[in-house]
Amino acid sequence: MFKYDVFINSLADLPEGKEIKLSVRDLSPGLQKYAYKHVMAMVSPDADKYPEKLQVRFGRGQVHNQPYSIQVVKEVSIVPERYL
Amino acid sequence: MYKDNREYIKALEAAGELVTINQEVDWDMEAGAIVRKVCEEKLQSPLMNKIKEYPGHRYFGAPLSTYRKLAIAMGLDPNSSIPEIANVYLERTTNKAPVKPVLVDKDKAPCKENIFIGDEADILNLLPAPIVHEGDGGRYLCTWHFIVTKDPDNGDVNWGMYRQMVYDGKTMTGPLLPFSDGGKVFHGKYKPAGKPMPFATVIGPDPISAIAASAPSPIPETDFAGMLMGKPIELVKCETVDLEVPANAEIIIEGEILPDVSLEEGPFGEYTGYRTSPRDMRTCYRVKAITFRNDPITTISNMGVPTDEGQLLRSFSLGLEMDKLLRSQGIPITGVFMMPESTHHLVIVGVKPIYTNIAAQIAQTVFGSKLGPWFHMVVVVDDKCDIYNFNEVLHAWTTKCHPGTGIHIWQGVGTPLYPFLSAAERIKSVGPKVLFDCTFPLDWDSFSEVPSLVSFKTVYPQELQDKVLANWEKYGFKS
Ligand SMILES: Cc1cc2nc3c(=O)[nH]c(=O)nc-3n(C[C@H](O)[C@H](O)[C@H](O)COP(=O)(O)O)c2cc1C
Ligand SMILES: [Mn+2]
Repeated sequence: MFKYDVFINSLADLPEGKEIKLSVRDLSPGLQKYAYKHVMAMVSPDADKYPEKLQVRFGRGQVHNQPYSIQVVKEVSIVPERYL
Repeated sequence: MYKDNREYIKALEAAGELVTINQEVDWDMEAGAIVRKVCEEKLQSPLMNKIKEYPGHRYFGAPLSTYRKLAIAMGLDPNSSIPEIANVYLERTTNKAPVKPVLVDKDKAPCKENIFIGDEADILNLLPAPIVHEGDGGRYLCTWHFIVTKDPDNGDVNWGMYRQMVYDGKTMTGPLLPFSDGGKVFHGKYKPAGKPMPFATVIGPDPISAIAASAPSPIPETDFAGMLMGKPIELVKCETVDLEVPANAEIIIEGEILPDVSLEEGPFGEYTGYRTSPRDMRTCYRVKAITFRNDPITTISNMGVPTDEGQLLRSFSLGLEMDKLLRSQGIPITGVFMMPESTHHLVIVGVKPIYTNIAAQIAQTVFGSKLGPWFHMVVVVDDKCDIYNFNEVLHAWTTKCHPGTGIHIWQGVGTPLYPFLSAAERIKSVGPKVLFDCTFPLDWDSFSEVPSLVSFKTVYPQELQDKVLANWEKYGFKS
């Protein structure tokens, strides 16, 4: 079961071994399913490296057949503080 | 005509155009799949009374996806022909005084039956935003709706149907394209001034208001809806923004468009029948308030291969606004018909060809107008061809259009949605346009040069035609 998914233009958008900023969709069941989160995270093409599974999709929704894994380091606001 | 979707739904039911689904339906793709199949098979509109995880909410799908439904929405006989419905649209909205909306009190406005402001106004907690297609970038709450905005300089109000995807409980995104009326005010005025633009999204408007919000008429949508309806639209003031919304709509979302924030939107299954415009950074809508009727009905339009209401109604109104435009220029057209099956890309114009290059003048006028970005193929036939009869049009097209001199190509404004464009063209919103001139050259001698049409009506003497018709059943044919 994937915990998150992410839409990317190319696999280069998901470099391994460094903290990157991503917009991910939270796939946890319930009313808030598919809500976006902006996160700082580590990702890997090794599906078992990090605690949560990440599904990768390309710009037109195509599913990448390789499951990734992700560790969310922290959540960041999706709009600047002054709009909160 | 119907003051709200509920009266319209009753009228559809009476005409056999409604299917009521009482078993539970999942908002996550199942409702979308039902609506998709309905569109592809031109079936009745589904009213879904039980939605998973959202008790008390309902869906109304494919609200206007056939000409029968359109005729009902316009208060006409469901069996009216396309030209009959078209004539009523033209008659109600040409050279008539605008019918201005009226303001009603909040206690007369059903859309205020439930009011949520501030933190409570969380889209995903309150509303069953569906996943319309697999692969979509998010939950598209707003597919049959419109966005109300106001010009800060002159107070002009605009209603435009611009899709919105839920980003999180407080945020939506969508392509507010810069050549749309709402887009011009946002990109041209609020954004350069660094000011948030107030908006109100109206979900589940009455069918006439939805037609007005998706029609490219120069008449303000509020007044245009009143003209089509034959009486003023009732509006009520919003809770948190200085805007008015239809009092009888199902759901209202109020908020602000942020001038300096863009967020990813899409991909989405689009009206062209493809998922074309890739995910991109688009306009950010922040939510301040949500109000809705008791047992609210969320409308779902499912864009994809024909025929959905976007294709049908946009073809209808784009074609007829072109009709008005060409007549306003004194061009002797016989009519304009845009085919929904072409996903409003192909328009057929009939004209009395009284001077050379009249077809080019027609194409340049419509491509150069506000309507231009949304279509790219113009087929001009002469006044003897029935524009609503595709067999006749195809015959004229394939026999009268000279491949060397009858096809003209221009560069115009396009949209990121055209499936055939390259990525670079999409980004710049350029769009090639083509004219097929299916009229014979005027300088051909009608006696010696123009080929004679070989049809029952054109090649036999009248007495013989009459004789054959009189004997038709005697020969053994059914009349
Ligand atoms: C279902 C549907 C979705 C649409 N989505 C968009 C959109 O996201 N952005 C846009 O600019 N136009 C969109 N359109 C087209 C506009 O509704 C149309 O151009 C309308 O005339 C806009 O009103 P305006 O002339 O006031 O801009 C959509 C039309 C339909 C039927
Ligand atoms: Mn407008």
